[in-house]
Amino acid sequence: MMSCQPFSPELLEQAFLYLLCATIGAFILAPLLTKFLYKFKITRRSEYDFTLQGADRAGKVGTPIMGGLLVIVVVTIITLLFNWERSYTYVPIGVMGLSALLGAADDLMNIFGAKRRSRSFANTWLLVRIHRHWYARIFYFCSLPWVAFRQLASALGSHPGRGIQVHEKLLMQFIAGGVTAWWIYFKLGENWRSLWVPFDGVINLGWWIIPLVILLVMFTANAVNIADGLDGLAGGALIMTFLGLMIISWIEGRVAFTLLNGTVVGALIAYTYFNIKPARFQMGDVGTLGLGALFAINAIAVNKTILIPLLGFIFYVEAISVLIQIFCRRMLGKRFFKMAPIHHHFEFRGWSEEKIVMRFWLIHSFFVIVAVWLALH
Amino acid sequence: MIMLSARAEKVIRDYFNLPFEGLTGVRCPYFNNARRNRRGQLRGLIGKGTPEEIAEEARIISTQYRHNIFDKDGHCCVHATHNDEEKIEDVRKFLIDNDLGIDCSGFVSHVLIEHYKETRGVDIARRFHFWPIKNFWRWLVARLRPVENMSVRVMAKDANTNKIADGRSGFDWSRLESADLVIMMETGPNKKRNHVLLIEDNEGSVIRYTHARAWSAEGKYGHGVARGEIRLTKPGGNLLEQAWEELGRAGEDNETFLEATGAKLLEVRRIRI
Repeated sequence: MMSCQPFSPELLEQAFLYLLCATIGAFILAPLLTKFLYKFKITRRSEYDFTLQGADRAGKVGTPIMGGLLVIVVVTIITLLFNWERSYTYVPIGVMGLSALLGAADDLMNIFGAKRRSRSFANTWLLVRIHRHWYARIFYFCSLPWVAFRQLASALGSHPGRGIQVHEKLLMQFIAGGVTAWWIYFKLGENWRSLWVPFDGVINLGWWIIPLVILLVMFTANAVNIADGLDGLAGGALIMTFLGLMIISWIEGRVAFTLLNGTVVGALIAYTYFNIKPARFQMGDVGTLGLGALFAINAIAVNKTILIPLLGFIFYVEAISVLIQIFCRRMLGKRFFKMAPIHHHFEFRGWSEEKIVMRFWLIHSFFVIVAVWLALH
Repeated sequence: MIMLSARAEKVIRDYFNLPFEGLTGVRCPYFNNARRNRRGQLRGLIGKGTPEEIAEEARIISTQYRHNIFDKDGHCCVHATHNDEEKIEDVRKFLIDNDLGIDCSGFVSHVLIEHYKETRGVDIARRFHFWPIKNFWRWLVARLRPVENMSVRVMAKDANTNKIADGRSGFDWSRLESADLVIMMETGPNKKRNHVLLIEDNEGSVIRYTHARAWSAEGKYGHGVARGEIRLTKPGGNLLEQAWEELGRAGEDNETFLEATGAKLLEVRRIRI
């Protein structure tokens, strides 16, 4: 990997230059993007989005979504033009693009798509038994594992039934995670098959790194997606995360990743400026899935995999709150939180949106600082 | 006279007066999940919730779907110009329109769980037998969600309750105690319904019971938890020969009595500890 001396002042100076360029570029692009989103009516609509039904959230109806495109486009352009290295940046940018495409498809289908229905496992099993054509019975019988997977996956989601369904999303994210794992295992070399542990520890994972990377990319992308529920929350938290990653990459002397993370921070500053309450646009799945995947890849690529839960603390808390809620709801029939993800729980407790966002930013910043501190050891 | 425990009485009171802030007197409606068949859902949404869970679901649904029944802090804010009775009616309509309520076995289960916890130190939800269980998954679900699985059929099993008397045979009915159950199996027009009444107290000449039910005479919005009594007018006679009265109605007008009359099996049972 292209690298230089740790704590190199030249690298830091260059990273700040990328950051400033990305910020200025994103500020210039933002009004154009807003106009584009309004023109094509890519906005939140209450009839498709049950999270908008609460009285406090009614004001969000009509706000453009897919604002995350701003970050994705700026980061991709700057990286392609000034930071393109076939060995290091093409896979992170490629996986970010793939995840962003998936998110974009979901956003657009949620707005313009027709309601999607799918046959339940019980109905498919019924058709296996009673369909009048034997070949149809065989077809339905063969489709049973897929239907079971689809039904199992649907228990994890609460989509309004128009966008990409959970099982399709998981499958696409599995492919994105698989590409990352292939890159880490076969391209980056043997050093990346061992997990760095703070205080001079190493865990040799061998080929176990492959499922771990796939799981981390999938989980982190979804975690960022889940956290994007309040104005400014995901954007602000991602600034801290990528800033932390930029500092860690700089400490390690990883040139390409220091510059890439600096670019993302710059673009996110402009995005968050327009995203704080009242938001001019919202990130949408296009941004959250793309940036979530990029965050996981960048952390793995600088061999700080173990720090991902700290660098993405608030995202992980949000995702785990959803898992806890689903478990309690399905298995125990009770709510653990008044509503999940956890930011909605605090909304129900009467906290204002601004209070939740500010406190979550602070908590998140604290854990990012802890992660950077650990990276020094 | 044996009484229900204080905590069990409180549960009954809470069902008759759901714990909403700023509004008292909302009687819990009846809801049976058999028709909606919601699977793997919150028990508050399938007719098995505690009064607190039902009230919380109402507040969440009201906020989430902007029904403006409760404000952000959970206080009832329905039409400020309405008097209390109209407000209660509005809230009850809201509950019923959103399928919130309790079914007969859910109501009885929650009361009995509290009663036996307090009087015997036993959680009957953990002691109940749910067999026959088809597979490990069903067994796990029954262990994790016992109240949802404590149906009338399960309550009528010999492993869970002891038969005290056959409702169609003569018996000294003054011997019935609080927390005894009047079980009606295979009743209703299609003989597919089961029902359970919980005996609240027995003075010797009057047995008072409570249950969750939906009478057809009460229409769409009238049903819910209710109390009734059986006057022991014919000592030594069977249960159906006594005078049943509920909501001031007796005889054929009392639909609970009609259900008892039409039941294939009518028994009084007591929880087996």
